[in-house]
Amino acid sequence: MAALLNIEDLTKYFFGLAALDRVSFEIREGEIVGLIGPNGAGKTTLFSIIAGSQPPTSGKITFEGRDFTGVKSFRAVHAGIARTHQIPKPFLSMTVSENVEVGLRFGRSRTTRNLGKEALEILELVGIPSLAGMAAVALSVGDLKRLELARTLAARPRLLLCDEVCAGLTESEMQSILGLLRRIQSLGTTIVYVEHNLRAIVSTCHHVIVLNFGKKLAEGPPEKMQNDPAVIEAYIGKKARV
Amino acid sequence: MSAETQRPGFALQAVRALPPLVLLGFLAALPLFNLGANSVKVLFLTFVSIAASVGWNILGGFAGQVSFGFAVFYGLGAYTTAVGINEGLSPYLTYPLAAAVAAVASLLVGLPTFRLRGPYFAIATIGVSEATRVIMSNLEFTGGASGYRITEHVPFRQTEHYYTGLALATVAVLISIAVRRSRFGLGLRAIRDDQDAAADTGVNPYAYKLAAHALAAALTGAAGGVYARYAAFIDPEGVFGFQRSVGILLMPVIGGVNTIWGPVIGGGVYGVIEEELVARFPQIHLLLYGALVMLIILFEPGGVLGLLQRARRLVLRRRVASWQPS
Amino acid sequence: MTASDYLNLLISALLLAGTYAAMAVGMTVIYGVMKIVNLAHAGFLMLGAYFVYEVHERAGLHPLAAAVLAFPFFYGLGVVVHWALGRGVPVSDTPTLASLLLMFGLWLVLQNVGYLVWGTSDRSILTPMTFATIRFGEITIPKIGLVVFASAVVSLAALEFVLHKTWFGRSIRALIQNRYSCRIVGINVERTARLTFGLGIAFAGTAGGLLALLYPFSPDFGRPFLLRSFVIIVLGGLESFSGVFVGSLILALVETFSILIVPSSYQPAISFGLLVVALIVLPGGVAGFVARKRSRRAG
Repeated sequence: MAALLNIEDLTKYFFGLAALDRVSFEIREGEIVGLIGPNGAGKTTLFSIIAGSQPPTSGKITFEGRDFTGVKSFRAVHAGIARTHQIPKPFLSMTVSENVEVGLRFGRSRTTRNLGKEALEILELVGIPSLAGMAAVALSVGDLKRLELARTLAARPRLLLCDEVCAGLTESEMQSILGLLRRIQSLGTTIVYVEHNLRAIVSTCHHVIVLNFGKKLAEGPPEKMQNDPAVIEAYIGKKARV
Repeated sequence: MSAETQRPGFALQAVRALPPLVLLGFLAALPLFNLGANSVKVLFLTFVSIAASVGWNILGGFAGQVSFGFAVFYGLGAYTTAVGINEGLSPYLTYPLAAAVAAVASLLVGLPTFRLRGPYFAIATIGVSEATRVIMSNLEFTGGASGYRITEHVPFRQTEHYYTGLALATVAVLISIAVRRSRFGLGLRAIRDDQDAAADTGVNPYAYKLAAHALAAALTGAAGGVYARYAAFIDPEGVFGFQRSVGILLMPVIGGVNTIWGPVIGGGVYGVIEEELVARFPQIHLLLYGALVMLIILFEPGGVLGLLQRARRLVLRRRVASWQPS
Repeated sequence: MTASDYLNLLISALLLAGTYAAMAVGMTVIYGVMKIVNLAHAGFLMLGAYFVYEVHERAGLHPLAAAVLAFPFFYGLGVVVHWALGRGVPVSDTPTLASLLLMFGLWLVLQNVGYLVWGTSDRSILTPMTFATIRFGEITIPKIGLVVFASAVVSLAALEFVLHKTWFGRSIRALIQNRYSCRIVGINVERTARLTFGLGIAFAGTAGGLLALLYPFSPDFGRPFLLRSFVIIVLGGLESFSGVFVGSLILALVETFSILIVPSSYQPAISFGLLVVALIVLPGGVAGFVARKRSRRAG
């Protein structure tokens, strides 16, 4: 499988603190990749930079063989990279359907017709078709996360970056979201998602990348990561065992 | 209401369009009834105000970028028309020229300042506007601070000005409606709600803000031009002054920002108050505006339009509540 | 121009810087703590000027004494205004347009109440001191300028003292840094905000009173100073107090020495131009710029 995304020595400094320190990895097309690491490891910063919301201090990003370093987020969306935010950022003056419409109209597909129908299809995919006409301000946190995902999916990304899509959800909600991610992947989208729940990682991911203190600690198949001592130490401490 | 997902049927749209069309017809027919020069003047000035108000709202309301410096565009439009007419151009040629000059100026202003957000942008626009006023006050070519006179060799026909103003205001409202319903308008709304999220969803914030700015400036510039020809004398303090920027800003805020008809209502209120109060109580009107703005921000951010909508909902609720099965 | 001419200009600039600093502090305090861009600052500068004028005219008090009195008066006024505005002036992490427009409306109200009460003509406060100068050889220093400068320095020193040596001051500094942590630690955010607002208005009123000794004033008095305050705060960094000194100095130097290059009628355009340039080039002000340079060297 070809490398869809290539990250080389990506570094980001905030006032002398290295949020990311020479991180390098490859994402292959069609995979679901899990990005794990303790809080503050730099996962959201990494997503933010790949998606173009902020520029790196140094390093190189290659997407589909083309240099993508420093590309701004709206251009990244048009090229096929889109992200969800850790804390959802809905367009509060709009309805759920209108939110999705923005993704449809401004994303990669630039849809112009049958917006209502397509929006509804995406809402069905994420599981909230009945909320189409509701104002975004009225949604619960769980529904906001689904809306966030719907809007991002509406942009038809080739590479989807999901930032803690499972945070704050119940066990059953989480299972349904994971099933959703698998379905999205089967439809042709490559997914990288941030997750804290190791069981979710093991059940869904082909490949796992571990970050800590801005550095890549390890990467490999999930089973191997579970038993990697460095990973365990990062999460739990020296003496514990998963 | 969504532009696309819930497009009301044609019949409903026609019904909704009726009241404004009736109003338009009424206003168009008005000069035929002997109205008196002063009323025509008030209406003309109201039309010009509405055009600038609707224009500003495209940037300040739809896109959420509040500019305190729109007098720059009004003034540039005014001076473009004034100089153009004096150089022999037909006034009707100078109006689109005024719009174009203002639009180009808006790019010059916007390119550096749109990197700023919210209040910082607002403050920067004050700086730009005031700097332009000072420069224009010192420019010999346009008469400097003492102003500039237009000499036209055609008789002054008030009805001509009236209809020009009405046409301009109508065009402004039509543009506003078109923007609101378009993909461009949706992008502006997204930027207003959350610029970063909009960018993350594929909207190009910088380009869209510049475009909205240019459109808003063009309408305001045209309004300045139409005004200049009527007034036949303009000066930097009047057309470039902070008072002017304030006035342009106040109208949509009072009427109901980020709506189609709010700026129109605001323009109407402003135009009438300006004419009726300014002569008699020169300082009361600004006091009134200041108090209105404060009350609106504190109690009804939707402005006059918001109040009307609230009142209508109240009436409807009472009607529903009092409905008795027969 | 001789060396002593330059020296005179320099001294004028320094004196001006002190006054500007006092003027801008009021706005910085309110912005730093509550992220509210107080456009009504201009209105309170104006009221301060008229306060000193009225107290001087009617009670016969020396203008400087009146300016001192202005401080507690405007502190109380500020607290009352903050209470009256209620929800319109929330403590937030980012500036909101709603609060900007609200303060703008307040400024309009204040300015035009001023017109109603005092009319449109300029007034001045003249004392025997107004035209007196001190001479050191070839250097002339206007006495009144020196007095105002000294008052400004004293009030700013007092502010520094309050900020660093009192509990109230520490609450303010904490609030500037992190609102949520303040609540956790037990600082009453609302009350600190209210008292800080009062402090900001107090500085505005006092500065207005001092400025009234230097310039003629009308109810529109605040506007040029408002824009200058912006320039200062932006140059200095919107959230740093020491930045206010730096910003005041830069502005005062630019304004004073630009007379050598540009005709005086263009001079306001320079301040405005500086404002726009500062906003764009130095979003964190000089203080932010220095901090970033320092961090890049470390990283």
